[in-house]
Amino acid sequence: MTEDRIKVWDLPVRLCHWSFAVLVPALWWTAENSEMGWHMRLGVLLLALLVFRILWGFFGSSTARFSSFLKGPGKVFAYFRGATKMQPATIGHNPAGGWSAVLLLGAMLLQVFFGLFSGDPFDGATGPLNHVVGVMTAGAMTDRHEFFFNIVLALVALHLLAIVFYAVVKRDRLVPPMVTGSRKMPAGVAGMVGVPAWRALVCAAIAAALAYWVWSGAPGL
Amino acid sequence: MRMNRTANTILGAIVLSAGLTACGTSEEGAEATGEEVAVAEEMTVIEERQANFEGIGDAFMAIRGQLEEASPDFGVIAASAQTIDTNANKISGYFPEGTGMDSGADTEALATIWEQPEEFAAAIDRLTGASAGLVEAAASEDVEVVGAAVMNLGGACMNCHETFRLDDES
Repeated sequence: MTEDRIKVWDLPVRLCHWSFAVLVPALWWTAENSEMGWHMRLGVLLLALLVFRILWGFFGSSTARFSSFLKGPGKVFAYFRGATKMQPATIGHNPAGGWSAVLLLGAMLLQVFFGLFSGDPFDGATGPLNHVVGVMTAGAMTDRHEFFFNIVLALVALHLLAIVFYAVVKRDRLVPPMVTGSRKMPAGVAGMVGVPAWRALVCAAIAAALAYWVWSGAPGL
Repeated sequence: MRMNRTANTILGAIVLSAGLTACGTSEEGAEATGEEVAVAEEMTVIEERQANFEGIGDAFMAIRGQLEEASPDFGVIAASAQTIDTNANKISGYFPEGTGMDSGADTEALATIWEQPEEFAAAIDRLTGASAGLVEAAASEDVEVVGAAVMNLGGACMNCHETFRLDDES
């Protein structure tokens, strides 16, 4: 069977992905080591990237779009039943990976959301939106922010285990395409359909503006 | 902000107990050495110290939460003020030498605590003065009086944090 190298992931998807992979451990480290100034800068950067990635899920290239990879429960179960067998060659997220990506994005977004309101002004660092909620709400947000990291950690662990499963059992290395953006597929498999670069710039501008507004304490809220 | 303190404490306890177990087996069940006992005591005092401060923080938050209510519960305020005052008066006993950041323990206690003992004692006095004032204010059942005492106490907290606790905000 002949194989062709085709495009799978666009640059924004790969940049977001590897930024998340760096930022999540960095956010953990800064919190554990009393570097809350950096924790919050990186947290708001993560917020900007998450907002961008969500916008890109509607306006980005074919494999970036939620509509292309979010499948109903029937397809997900069918995929799991045949997970160790040969499946038809497709690119992008498979039915299980699509939900995994959305869960990871959602968990990171929720974790950032809790963090924005966390802290106590009389006791060290506070998130940029701490002042817009009452002291008891802020206290509850702090507790949730501390607890929910365990959920993020569990989802990351599941994600890494899935990558190992694909490499070992299915003999499919998922990491190189996420680095290079392309992979070899059987001839005839359609590649990613891209979109013009200006769309990425518009999405990035919106994400940056929102993150800056949050960082400034949400003036007008 | 205190992140994952419980997780750190548990981790520290596991590492410590694993270390002690390792020592125990290598010495064929010999008694813990003096050094090991000292390390264990430092762990305990830091944990108790942090629990004491967290008690103050939680009680202070409860009072401020009541002040945000339309009709504050002065029973909660009075009980919380008493907790703060009781815990504040224990602080001076929780800082034996060798329990600062320099010891490598998971604490933000700066060496200045032991380098400037008089200033540290004065900062504690300011807190215990403010906590006694808050107990008194709570008895007045007057929102404005309590509010002023709360600000005074908050100032005493931050006064000490500025000089004697690691700045985690930069």
